[in-house]
Amino acid sequence: MSPSQIAKVARREYLTRVRSKAFILMTVMIPILMGGYIFIMPLLFTSSGTDELRIAVVDAGTGLAPALAGQLAAIEQPRIDVAEQAVVPDDSESVRRPYTEAVLDGSLDGYLVLTPDPVIGAGSRYYARETGNPVMLRDIERAIEATLLDRLVAGTGVDTERVRAWQRFDLEAVTVSDEGETEGGFEAAFFSTFALAMLLYMAVLINGQGMAMAIVEEKSSRLIEVILGAVTATEFMTGKILGVLGSGLTQLGIWVGALLLGVLYAAPMLAMGPDLADFDLGAVLSVELILYFSIFFALGYFLYSVFFATIAATCTSTEELGQAMFAAVLPMVVALMSSFYVIANPGTVATRVLSLLPPFTPLVMLARVNVLTPPLWEIWLGIALLALGIVASGWLAAKIFRYALLMHGKRPTLPELMSVIRAG
Amino acid sequence: MPTPALRCQDLVKTFAGTTAVAGLNLSVPAGAIFGLLGPNGSGKTSTIRTSLGLYVPDGGHVELLGSRDPLAVRHRVGYLPEERGLYAKMKVAEQLTFLAAIRGLDQAEAARRAHAWLDRVGLAANAKSDTGDLSKGMQQKVQFAAAVIHEPDLIVLDEPFTGLDPINTRLLKDLILEQRERGATVVLSTHLMEQVEALCESICLIHRGRPVLDGVVADIRAGHGRNTVAVEYEGNGAGPLTDLPGVRRGEDTGQEARLEVDAGADAQAVIRAVVDRVTIRSVRLEHPSLEDIYLERVGASPSPAEEDAS
Repeated sequence: MSPSQIAKVARREYLTRVRSKAFILMTVMIPILMGGYIFIMPLLFTSSGTDELRIAVVDAGTGLAPALAGQLAAIEQPRIDVAEQAVVPDDSESVRRPYTEAVLDGSLDGYLVLTPDPVIGAGSRYYARETGNPVMLRDIERAIEATLLDRLVAGTGVDTERVRAWQRFDLEAVTVSDEGETEGGFEAAFFSTFALAMLLYMAVLINGQGMAMAIVEEKSSRLIEVILGAVTATEFMTGKILGVLGSGLTQLGIWVGALLLGVLYAAPMLAMGPDLADFDLGAVLSVELILYFSIFFALGYFLYSVFFATIAATCTSTEELGQAMFAAVLPMVVALMSSFYVIANPGTVATRVLSLLPPFTPLVMLARVNVLTPPLWEIWLGIALLALGIVASGWLAAKIFRYALLMHGKRPTLPELMSVIRAG
Repeated sequence: MPTPALRCQDLVKTFAGTTAVAGLNLSVPAGAIFGLLGPNGSGKTSTIRTSLGLYVPDGGHVELLGSRDPLAVRHRVGYLPEERGLYAKMKVAEQLTFLAAIRGLDQAEAARRAHAWLDRVGLAANAKSDTGDLSKGMQQKVQFAAAVIHEPDLIVLDEPFTGLDPINTRLLKDLILEQRERGATVVLSTHLMEQVEALCESICLIHRGRPVLDGVVADIRAGHGRNTVAVEYEGNGAGPLTDLPGVRRGEDTGQEARLEVDAGADAQAVIRAVVDRVTIRSVRLEHPSLEDIYLERVGASPSPAEEDAS
């Protein structure tokens, strides 16, 4: 094998991948989408278009309207202006009609109807044209809760503040491992595992597919004959895979860079948001996690690129490739499915075995690292086995490449491939 | 005698029970333009692929530029396959640069030569076009350039003239001759007999994986079969010229005659006899054309399989 020949093939493949529209679109869109999801969506929910809502409180016999108006006045974003308090006989449609009309003509943004409830004191409905802001609805809900609580404990000497603190009780999960204690449990593990799964899946699918299509194009256009006159099948395959690996690492680099920028610049901004102060990005994204994420991404990407290249080498048309590609993606789908089980059962034998099988290691081991950090030797055994898996599948792929690249018209059958592999 | 540019000895290549090359012996003299002929399915492409190391031979061996290891000399060989393609979505100049680079040139030199060659074949204006936008003939010129851009010692061209218009056929012919001037050996595999007669010094005719005829073209034609005397004359009613002694058979229209000379007879004597009998407008002594020999040797036997046994 000649390194310079490999480098030339890799260079072409890398530049072709990196310049492809799919690559550019995905590299740019993923941080934007993720950033959008993490930073912008909560902001959108918290700052509903209007600063102030004009509402009416319509009491159908609870007597809570004045107290509730006081609680509502404490809400800041958006501020709630109780324009009218009314006592009505019941909440029938005819009684509500004037308020509904006020909402429709815009003089009110909405109105709250309070109805008596024998158990907790009151039921309530909010009528408005816009009811889609969950943050505002939750604020109103809390105001009603507080009003009901005040009435419930009135005269008992119980401190309502203490009761409300008790209501907000939250079980904190702390992961204990050799390296110390980490806060954040299932959600953090789920988040980062799922994020890795999606990134790996999309990166492999788009770049790997691009490479696979290129190999099939080279085969079907017979360009392969010219190329194989100049480089060996093994050099060709190695160059292809290194090129596509390079494009994946470029993507990873851009993403990790964007993420770090996001953590440095956007997180402080985020913390200023009213309801997100308790969202600790640092707990979700540790340096250690980014490191393992990068290792598993790179190795997983590498392994699946080999799968894709091998499958492409046996296909003679893009139609065939489309069908065969499923076989390459399947282990990743299985790994993703099983990582749900893994997050819930991080210590079982099944989980430990699964995390050491190379096609599953990237996702499953990362999930384990997230939930219940396994002994260091197990992580590195997984990484070593994964690397070994890459070498072994690369070795098999080289044999298949030598045999299948010049085949046209028909795909090699599985028995044929087996005999090629045995023949050495 | 210098080392042949390519030598095959008892070469055998089989595919799933089908024998594509059956004990082929072949020697391509260095510095010549060599014609590799044969009907479809005769094993030409398999012979080329095996010779260049794309296939591993099942028997016998190949010496490419004096080396038993085709890999060791791969950068000294240029190859234009019969069924060829290019990256459709790649810019023409980038593509040629890449193909030059994998043949051993460094990136800068590859780029420089790519532009020079595009200029040479009249495609300078298309350097930045997507290759897929070029016409078939234009792509073929790019492919030819890719086969010779690294100035190889041995150039193998499989049906290089297919699909070219007369202007580009002429250009390609000139370019091939230019390569020979440079000192390269050219192996030309083709069906087009005029091109072979015009370009090749030696040929090898393959049929069913075996050579049925090989040697220097002039020798083959001179030594092969009978000569023909072609005459245009003023008719004088002295009887058909096919009756003349030494004429094996022929045809005579009364104004033109083609007279096949007997194997042992002297063609000059036949011509003298013709001159004695009729008033000649023109007379020509013809060797049999390669096409005649080809047809005679290969005959009307239908080819058993398609060219590409793989």
